[in-house]
Amino acid sequence: MLLKNTWNELVKILAKPRSYIGFGALTLLIGIILLAMKADGKSFISFVTASFEQTLSFNGEILNGNLMAFVILQMLIIHVPLLVALVTGDLVSGEAAMGTLRMMATKPISRSAILGSKLLAGAIYTFLLTLWMAFMAYGVGQWMFGVGDLIVLNSDGLVVLPADDIMWRYFYGFGLAFLSLLAVATMSICFSVFSDNSIGPIVSTMAVIILFTIIGSLDVASFVSIQPFLLTTHMASWRSLFEMPVPVDDILSSIYILLFHIIAFAGIAFWRFNKKDINT
Amino acid sequence: MIKAFLLTSILLGWNYIFAQDAQVLLRQVVDKIELVKDYSANVQITADIPLIKILPSKAKIYFKGPDKFKVVSKGIAILPKQGFTDMNLFLSKPDDYMVVFAGKKMIESVETTLLTVIANESDAEIILVKLWVDASRRLIMASEITTRSSGNVKIDYKYANNKSFDLPSRIKFTVDVKEFKMPKSFSTNPHKTNKSKVNKRKTGTIELLISNYKVNQGIANSFFVK
Amino acid sequence: MSSNVVSVKNLKKSFKGFEAVKDVSFTVQKNDVFGFLGPNGAGKSTSLRCMLSLIQADAGQIKLFDQDLQRNRSNVLSKIGSIIEKPDFYKYLSAFKNLELLARISGSSVSKSELYDILEFVGLQGREKHKFRTFSHGMKQRLGIAQALMHNPELIILDEPTTGLDPQGIVDIRNLILKLSKEQGKTVILSSHQLAEIELIANRMVIINKGKTIIEGSVNELLNSSNMVVKFQLDDTGRGEKLLAKDFGDIRKLNFSEDELTFEIEKMRIADVVECFVKNNLRIYSVEQKRKLEDYFIKMIEE
Repeated sequence: MLLKNTWNELVKILAKPRSYIGFGALTLLIGIILLAMKADGKSFISFVTASFEQTLSFNGEILNGNLMAFVILQMLIIHVPLLVALVTGDLVSGEAAMGTLRMMATKPISRSAILGSKLLAGAIYTFLLTLWMAFMAYGVGQWMFGVGDLIVLNSDGLVVLPADDIMWRYFYGFGLAFLSLLAVATMSICFSVFSDNSIGPIVSTMAVIILFTIIGSLDVASFVSIQPFLLTTHMASWRSLFEMPVPVDDILSSIYILLFHIIAFAGIAFWRFNKKDINT
Repeated sequence: MIKAFLLTSILLGWNYIFAQDAQVLLRQVVDKIELVKDYSANVQITADIPLIKILPSKAKIYFKGPDKFKVVSKGIAILPKQGFTDMNLFLSKPDDYMVVFAGKKMIESVETTLLTVIANESDAEIILVKLWVDASRRLIMASEITTRSSGNVKIDYKYANNKSFDLPSRIKFTVDVKEFKMPKSFSTNPHKTNKSKVNKRKTGTIELLISNYKVNQGIANSFFVK
Repeated sequence: MSSNVVSVKNLKKSFKGFEAVKDVSFTVQKNDVFGFLGPNGAGKSTSLRCMLSLIQADAGQIKLFDQDLQRNRSNVLSKIGSIIEKPDFYKYLSAFKNLELLARISGSSVSKSELYDILEFVGLQGREKHKFRTFSHGMKQRLGIAQALMHNPELIILDEPTTGLDPQGIVDIRNLILKLSKEQGKTVILSSHQLAEIELIANRMVIINKGKTIIEGSVNELLNSSNMVVKFQLDDTGRGEKLLAKDFGDIRKLNFSEDELTFEIEKMRIADVVECFVKNNLRIYSVEQKRKLEDYFIKMIEE
């Protein structure tokens, strides 16, 4: 019944016009970034290498597809959560508002299966969105700018990664990005269980992300102790894959924290949904 | 009185002779360098610069006298800004500088003569060049360039034997890096602190292993146009 | 095994301190067309939602097909088709697609041809591919009935199924319910404000008010055991009134005016009243029996 209803959920997601906003927005945004970099990417590179240019000269094709994918992923990873929440935040509360949750809940399918199928469908949607982002950023970027070494500005300094040592980093990087977005999706579905209207969970999800991002960037003593546990802190963990050497322990730690968030939000959602009175 | 006069004369004369010798030696070195009109070579670049992590990379370098230089690499290659053509260009204009002997030094069991080359113009980019020269082979074994904008660059040369033009097989640049500083806002690793990274090392090195020289092949000027 | 398809005992449910259902009990037997009556806010909807596990009761027991609802939820719900309040579907999907989605989780396999058949059965042939958002209220109601019936359930729970239907539609639903009960042996629970409909088709009923069961039983017995309400139109209502006061002083007056005499009297004595009027040369223009269930209902509520 879980798989049958997951199929139902996917049918519903694909039938809703708002599901395509994310794909359209990504296509437009990434397209604009790529075209802008094609037109004036050199000034961006100067910004990256500015600190060193008095003493050193950087030779070779710095402006390449690998750099494009990195720039795009870095720019969009804060904004893509909204595109995810737009769909996943509506999965339960939207149906409650429409009254269709009532219709579904009178069928011989358990509450856990209903919610499980929504979580699964939400995860698949998030995966497809991440895949599209990867295709546009990495695939189209490579097509427009070609391959080459990747120059990355980290807190440790400049890292230059050889071209043949990059693809696997992006593979895992997009994997980590998916995990971050999945945590956001699960959070929005959890909020959705507590609400009977469409907008509340979406706005709440974005408010949480913005708030945590701000807390994560403030150098205040009372915040510093909680920063390592915030979801938003680990949404940037994909960048660790572009360090030399790759801090595997740090990445694993981020994965565990993201998984913890996913499990916690899902657990709360299941608990609440199973006890919830469907009055709409 | 006469003794002082004689001593002074001898000293001045000695200095003049030495100055003349320094200029001659430098001229001989420069003449040897200018035998190479152009060259291309394969190079492996190993950089050890604070705040930069880069694996050894390969490139091809092209030079055409007096000051054309081009690097062609599949990947990203980091090279020092100073030390390739600027020194040669500076040394090729003897009217722009004066040169004096400044002592001797052993470098890898070779006795070298230290020539100090001082720019005449007070606003020249290159202020001072120190050259440790193997007088017998008329080869620069080491140099130190002091520039207005980029600080100091020290260069060590190694030469493989039996090369007709005596082009270096290894060049090691030591550059000043005390100005490098990473902005705080680029802290991206959630597991590290958010403090800005200040470079504690004052110098970094870039080592070039050069091979497969092709000299005086007649590289066109247009090749160097970007 | 009992013949009770539904057994609700001492059902209780509160929302934030407000007791919506205090003590509701009733049973529904196999093949019943069961009327579930009560004024607005009586707790009908809450009780039905508890029966369909949409909400969790605070106390009480609900058994369906002799199985405890909580412990055998999936098995029990697979035998039930229902419309609670208004039928809501996905606006952006077609009628057929909506049914297909719900059929997939209804616990029994329903083929595409069966879905087309059920749409034709409820009068929506030709509208299968139209989006739900284009449907009129009546069409939405028909689609709701279609989803309640598509998986051939044993028990059908209908909450105001004729709302928004035209007169022909109301008749169709009435006939459908009778057909489901008599020909297909299905059990139907019908919650409705159309008391005439209940009176015509229900064989058993329960009336609840303020969260409590008032009365339960066979419709005929409940109504026949009570007094009738009749309305007489006479040529001289003044004389008629005096005659009633003299010979039928124990009747309950409801409305004595220039145009009519409406009163409640035992069924057996109506003929006596007619005879009295005729003997006293009063011309009787009409004798009208008021809607029994309506009055019974109002009476029960007031008590």
